[in-house]
Amino acid sequence: MSEGYVVRNLRVCVGDHVIVEDISFTLSPGEIVALAGASGAGKSMSAMTPFGLSAGVASGSARLDGIDMVGLPERELSRIRAEKVGFVFQQPLTALTPHRTVGQHLHEAATQAGGAKPTTDVMVAMLDAVGLSRPEERLAQYPHRLSGGERQRVLIAAALAHGPRYLVADEPVSALDAALRGEIMALLVRLCRERGMAMLLVSHDLAGIEHHADRLLLLDSGKVAESGSAKQIASSPATDYGRRLMAATPRLSEPLSPLPETGEVLLEVEGAHVHFPKPGWRRGRLDAVLDASLTLAKGETLALVGGSGSGKSTLGRAIAGLGPMASGTVRWQGELLPPRQRRSAEHRGLIQPVFQDPLASLDPRWTIADIIGEPLRWLAPDAERHRPAQDLLEEVGLPRDFASRKPASLSGGQAQRVAIARALSANPEMLLLDEATSALDPLVADGVVSLFGRLQRERGLSMLFITHDLALARRTAHRIAVMEAGRIVECGSREELFANPQAEATKRLIAASG
Amino acid sequence: MRPALLIVALIVFAALLGPFLLPYDHASIDWDSVRVGLFTDGHLLGTDDLGRDRLARLLVGTRVTLSVALAAAMVALVIGVAWGAIAGWVGGRTDELMMRIVDGLYALPFMFVVILLMVVFGRSILLVFLGIGFVEWLTMARVVRGQVIALKQRPFILAAEAAGSPARATLLRHILPNVAGVAVAYLMLTVPHVVMIESFLSFLGLGVQEPLTSLGILVNEGAEEMDMNPAALLLPGGVLVLLIASLTIAGERFRDRLADATK
Repeated sequence: MSEGYVVRNLRVCVGDHVIVEDISFTLSPGEIVALAGASGAGKSMSAMTPFGLSAGVASGSARLDGIDMVGLPERELSRIRAEKVGFVFQQPLTALTPHRTVGQHLHEAATQAGGAKPTTDVMVAMLDAVGLSRPEERLAQYPHRLSGGERQRVLIAAALAHGPRYLVADEPVSALDAALRGEIMALLVRLCRERGMAMLLVSHDLAGIEHHADRLLLLDSGKVAESGSAKQIASSPATDYGRRLMAATPRLSEPLSPLPETGEVLLEVEGAHVHFPKPGWRRGRLDAVLDASLTLAKGETLALVGGSGSGKSTLGRAIAGLGPMASGTVRWQGELLPPRQRRSAEHRGLIQPVFQDPLASLDPRWTIADIIGEPLRWLAPDAERHRPAQDLLEEVGLPRDFASRKPASLSGGQAQRVAIARALSANPEMLLLDEATSALDPLVADGVVSLFGRLQRERGLSMLFITHDLALARRTAHRIAVMEAGRIVECGSREELFANPQAEATKRLIAASG
Repeated sequence: MRPALLIVALIVFAALLGPFLLPYDHASIDWDSVRVGLFTDGHLLGTDDLGRDRLARLLVGTRVTLSVALAAAMVALVIGVAWGAIAGWVGGRTDELMMRIVDGLYALPFMFVVILLMVVFGRSILLVFLGIGFVEWLTMARVVRGQVIALKQRPFILAAEAAGSPARATLLRHILPNVAGVAVAYLMLTVPHVVMIESFLSFLGLGVQEPLTSLGILVNEGAEEMDMNPAALLLPGGVLVLLIASLTIAGERFRDRLADATK
């Protein structure tokens, strides 16, 4: 019996649609193979379908330790999955059953293939192996007590509880915070190496893959575009698709590209404080932003970087007058901007936002022309109202006839460009980009990032670029401010910040992005 | 969707146009043929014991039931959407207060309230649908409030604020159009419910007054003579069942499609 997982000419169909075609790869024991590519390229389908875990129908062959899984009845597949394979999925928040404790999850996972009931000591050891603190207490806890990273650790422990030889990880870290991603990936890799497990990793995060995977398959619309050693593809991709994908992935190691010159200081924020009432009857105070100060010059990009919950979006919204601000001042060219509702139309037009989820930020019932024209209606003086939506569409790189469409007919990248056109129609001096590219595919995101660069050069726009991606911040921003727990812990030019990081949070972020 | 909608359309069509095509109206008495059976003397469904044409009465009864239901559902729609939208949009203490009022009204036994209204103000068709509408808006308000709260957190509302849109304009141009689908779907489910309540009140003798009739009254009358003339009970009863079932099926389909479309 030959060891390893051998896929030959795999083809997956859903109904009449061919999703992936002609996929071949070999996963030898102890090896890590990654499937990467844009969304819709068929990564998850290729990984999951042979195990019977997708809606697709597979043909070709997929031999696991010599047994061809293609065409096996569900009973057999289920036995193979239970005995030999562990699975880690993307959604740590929903993949645990809410009413069962961590211990019950581990117990179920360990016994599913007819294994012996694990003792408490064994389960504690499992949790210890995935780096959970205080494992004894965790066994009795329910999932809602755990953070996202802790849940993903529990899921990994459960996936490994029955001692599988193979691990299939479908985007195991993409739902997690940037700082956690590196840790969890490192954990998965360490566990594989220690136990001689083979891992099939599905991910769109190329920067993360190249350090961890042995071999890499780049998928492009259902076909293998390029395959080979991960390091080689990362450093010198052979195909055009590979080159574009690699160029679109920001890395901390890449050379700094020049950014446009900046002018005089426009925005000064001093001592900004934001807090929210805690939900529930005993309303305490939740401090979201504490004593934050920053400046932004004309034509400058300042990146606001931090983990989720660090207060970066809240601060951005307070500055743009879209969220509450308890105390502190926001000045524009020395003039005080009042908070939220009391901002005049003129002041509102200065700072325009672009949000993370492109489709949710467009009203589904409005046409594109109406969406783009909305700020004009309220903010622009009458004389300026006549700039047609079509011109703005052209400026953001979309065809003029999109004006009559509805948002539902747009892709994520197109919708984000419409949102940018809307922001531009108010003729702003500054854009607030709140994770504006993180919901997009690498190639699409790269296109949007270069659009921001072009707009900055052509219009001299200032940008507050909120992101969790340090490498992206390094690529696009003149200066970077790092936030943690509501405070700006460090702020400096991109050269300084990476050459000589001061704050612990910065060092941790750099380590996690490396 | 098709058969259910088709049946509803047929019933509505018959109730609207039917009475004009008949030589008899629902109140006039044919002294020559009192209490005749089916298909006699030009009375397709016969006459009742006062000599009134049963088919004319069935069509008019359906029309009355339908219009009461529609009017009551509209009352529910207007109050419910306004109440729910304001509570959801303003939020905070206002929301708490408004929804506690809804909870309080829920706790009242609503049949009792309607009956009390009838007794105090006398019977009138206006009061019937006002009374029913005042009860039905509660659920509509809850549904709309939930939708508004969900919509309020969508980024396009924040984008509208950044575009300088005043709160009232955002509510009218962004929130309400997006609530409309759900409100209409719920309206379609309210109609059959109101049909049932109206028929029940009429059955008890609290609905519309003679000589005007409704499905509930016809079922009541039919029940009294069902041993001699089962058709008198089965026909209005059948129309009632068909109407409620088809409306409910059509409404649920509409709601499900809407949920798929907005996912």
